[in-house]
Amino acid sequence: MSGGRAKVTSPTLWRLAVVALCLLILFGMLISRLVILQVVDQDRGARFLQQQGAMRTIRTSEIPAYRGLVTDRRGQPLAVSTPVVSIWANPQLLTDPAEIERLAPVLGASASALSERIKLYADKQFMYLARHQTPEQARAILDLGLSGVHGEREYRRFYPAGEVASQLVGLTNVDGEGISGIELAYNDWLRGQTGKKRYLKDLHGDAIRNIGVIEQAQSGKPLALSIDLRLQYLQHRVLQRAMVETGANAGAAVTLDARTGEILAMTNHPVFNPNSRNGFDYAATRNRVVTDVFEPGSTMKPLTLVAALETGAFTIDTLIDTSPGRIQVGRKVLPDPRNYGEITVSRVIEKSSQVGVTKIAQQIGHEPILDVFQRFGLGEPSSIGFPGERSGSLPSRDRWSDIEKVTLAFGYGLTATPLQIAHAYTVFANQGRQVPLTLIKRSDTQTVEFRQVVSPQIAQQVLAVLNRVTGTEGTAQKARVDGFSVGGKTGTVHKVGKSGYLDDQYVALFVGVAPIENPRFVTAIIVDQPKGDNYGGGAAAAPIYSAITDGVLRLHNALPLTEEAGTQLVGLGGGA
Amino acid sequence: MTSRSVIACLVVAVVASALGVVYSSHVVRELYSRQQQVEYGQWQLQEDYSRLLLEQSTLASPHRVISIAQEDLAMSAPALSMERVLHGFGGALR
Repeated sequence: MSGGRAKVTSPTLWRLAVVALCLLILFGMLISRLVILQVVDQDRGARFLQQQGAMRTIRTSEIPAYRGLVTDRRGQPLAVSTPVVSIWANPQLLTDPAEIERLAPVLGASASALSERIKLYADKQFMYLARHQTPEQARAILDLGLSGVHGEREYRRFYPAGEVASQLVGLTNVDGEGISGIELAYNDWLRGQTGKKRYLKDLHGDAIRNIGVIEQAQSGKPLALSIDLRLQYLQHRVLQRAMVETGANAGAAVTLDARTGEILAMTNHPVFNPNSRNGFDYAATRNRVVTDVFEPGSTMKPLTLVAALETGAFTIDTLIDTSPGRIQVGRKVLPDPRNYGEITVSRVIEKSSQVGVTKIAQQIGHEPILDVFQRFGLGEPSSIGFPGERSGSLPSRDRWSDIEKVTLAFGYGLTATPLQIAHAYTVFANQGRQVPLTLIKRSDTQTVEFRQVVSPQIAQQVLAVLNRVTGTEGTAQKARVDGFSVGGKTGTVHKVGKSGYLDDQYVALFVGVAPIENPRFVTAIIVDQPKGDNYGGGAAAAPIYSAITDGVLRLHNALPLTEEAGTQLVGLGGGA
Repeated sequence: MTSRSVIACLVVAVVASALGVVYSSHVVRELYSRQQQVEYGQWQLQEDYSRLLLEQSTLASPHRVISIAQEDLAMSAPALSMERVLHGFGGALR
């Protein structure tokens, strides 16, 4: 080889140069092609290729956001999100019958059914196999190591209070969006913001490298309701028991704090279990306290009394002659159960005398009564913004017949929700003031805005009359609570059918205020179609009020009436 | 002479920045895996938290408390005649 260089002659050199040039040109073409593909952005150039590459390997996935906790006013959880794993598969990869055979028993399905299901999605790249598995269940599935089967983190909603607050708290759908109740009304507050992250996947769809988080997930905010779960539970228990005893179709109860406008408890019958969607009864998901309207009937008589007192023509001691125990208005005769004779205005309300109220209404006319109804918030939606809430209606007529003017005073011809009726009564419990309602806990420092609806004197007088309704002469003796004085008004309303009022179907109502000396809590009870002889407000609804209010006053440490408590000290000593 | 030193400087800078890229991508990967671990930890803590929350509210549910109080402990709400009011402790409504 030492002589090799000398042997190189000009022709060989020339040939070498040609070969080298060719190679160089080829190399140059290669480089320029590479530059075109990698750098120059033209048709099917660098950007196109990058896009195509990314489409095949880079994926964006969602980071689930934690949905805010819903609690009662004392921090007891009412709706909790727990982490779960949803199992999904790429049906184009999950084709091996042996793998499907292994997967089926873990999912609790037969292999044939599962492969049928997978076939349905054969031209897709994504299908859910099982949603919302507990982390342990999910691990059992994922540990099989099947091709194309993956887990995805999600949250599932649990409702620890179960049926006790089911209509109130509401539900979320499987994707974690509120669909009813508080969950829907405050969805934006509770929901949080789903995050996004980008990752690199391999041929099998497994994430091999995370590229980064594009958007952080933001947790939803917690929500403290004005509800007291202890009270809610008590109300629920009392209501369910009463529904069995009266054989009623449905019922609802609501307790308000008149001073703050907070809704302390709100229950319904029938109920449903929010933690299981099996045998789901849609009628039971209705929160009847806000979605159902009734004619409030005699529970409106105290409002008629307000209208009468405001004219100045009446005091609660004005005498009204109700004999002979019936009165003719137009073509209709309105009877009292018996002839009460000459009684005071107060006694008219206590006895719920049709004749007495008719005479008052005829004297003052319907306008002042309608005005009072309006001022007390009837016919307009409350401020709670509950989904499906109805506002009821007040009659608006050009021409009023004599009977219409009178029946308005009895609470017929208008409709209201149980919540509205209870809200109207807060006026009597709060010195003539009405505070806007809320389902959200108010902080102690928050100043409460209110409307002065009637004068404190009139509110006080009506309260005294309401108290007498539960007295020995009144219609609501069953509403009494041991050791406390309470007040309220019964109502018994004929249900409306296809051909007008039904003779044998009733709605029983009771609305009460407690305690009378220091009024604060208003509770309204509605019993829809109680069976048997005890269908009236005094028989069907008042006992429910009594049981609930007993609990309300105990829970709030209300002081029993002193003289009675004094006599009991002896009893305690003797008993011990 | 000056152009040569400029080139040398540039070569050094290129090498240094290349090493810098290597180092920073290493750090990114390390931090990312740590973030993943922490996130996983957060996920598990959340799992525990909500499980405990549910357990607690099940154990403390009024339903359970009442049935234990009434059945196991034979307790009952005191009748009014058994109640005694102690004044001067506050808390009462009136």
